[in-house]
Amino acid sequence: MIRTASASHAEGCPREVEVVAMLLDRRSMRIDDEALAAHVDVCESCREVAELTRVMSADHERARREIRVPAAGQVWWRSAVRARLEAVHAAARPLTWSHGVAGACAIGLVIALIGLVWPAVQEATGWIGARALEVAPLGRAAATLMTTTLHGSVALMLVGAVFVLFAPVALYLALADE
Amino acid sequence: MSGLRDIVLTDLERAGAFDDAERTFQMTEDEFRLFYEQTARPVWIYLARMTSDDRLADDLLQEAYYRFLRTRTTFESQEHRRHYLFRIATNLVHDHRRRPRRERAGLDDSTPVDLSTDPIDMGERAVRRLDLARAMGKLKARDRSMLWLAYAQGFSHEEIARLLGLRTSSLKALLHRARQRLIALLHGSGERS
Repeated sequence: MIRTASASHAEGCPREVEVVAMLLDRRSMRIDDEALAAHVDVCESCREVAELTRVMSADHERARREIRVPAAGQVWWRSAVRARLEAVHAAARPLTWSHGVAGACAIGLVIALIGLVWPAVQEATGWIGARALEVAPLGRAAATLMTTTLHGSVALMLVGAVFVLFAPVALYLALADE
Repeated sequence: MSGLRDIVLTDLERAGAFDDAERTFQMTEDEFRLFYEQTARPVWIYLARMTSDDRLADDLLQEAYYRFLRTRTTFESQEHRRHYLFRIATNLVHDHRRRPRRERAGLDDSTPVDLSTDPIDMGERAVRRLDLARAMGKLKARDRSMLWLAYAQGFSHEEIARLLGLRTSSLKALLHRARQRLIALLHGSGERS
């Protein structure tokens, strides 16, 4: 069948290309050129090339007849859908960044507002306490308690409100890529 | 079934879903159809022979054409396009081989070779094909690619060298050695059977 060419040149024969070209051009798998055919008879390297070309191209031709590749339209359609999805994903990436920046700006703004408003809130709670004492001297204890509680907890309440407002935004940003 | 697909396709087209995508492709749908009809089978066979896995060849074929459509390379000729597609296919096969073993299937010597029950495929041709598949499976990926491109696809040495990122001067020797290995394997399996 196929013999090993122990004596052939390390790079084969320069006519191998002709042998392959002739065999693949003519699907009959025969070498019609007499001179080339005579050369193949005496050249072990070309004989090997001819045998391999016959075996491999026969396999290729058989597979070519038997296989069923997806339709061109299907491949095009899938590619278009994927390209579209990738385009949407790529376009969404800068938006995610801008969302992050906007969120950070909003948090900074809220903290600044709290800082600005805080003295007025303290003043207001003091005023409410004083008014309560004037209006209802008997409720002194209740008014003192309310003033103390307000002074102590307003900051906590504001911080809590900020968390409640921004937790969904933070969650969205964290999970946006998924 | 095809009618349903047409309706879906039309709806999506109406919504403008493909406008942007098509703009990023380097050819129109009609050009693609023509090119695909000419190249899909040889590329699929190449992928199937390199991976020994028909289903994987289907996936890699889709991926190869997608990458091809997205490329911004300017092609001088149809041959240049074809070679570029084969280069993408070669890279996909090599990328697949580099993945961890558990992630990939195929490329195993024990992989059964699909022998159809068609009577024409019986006898010596089937044995030869089985021998070829087994022998090819025992070669290195690069040797398999070289041999297939040279002797089944008829690519020139220069084209193969460009495709596989090798020097043309060294390709002849590499191809010769790969051929010797394949012949030795075929010779060995022929003796056993």
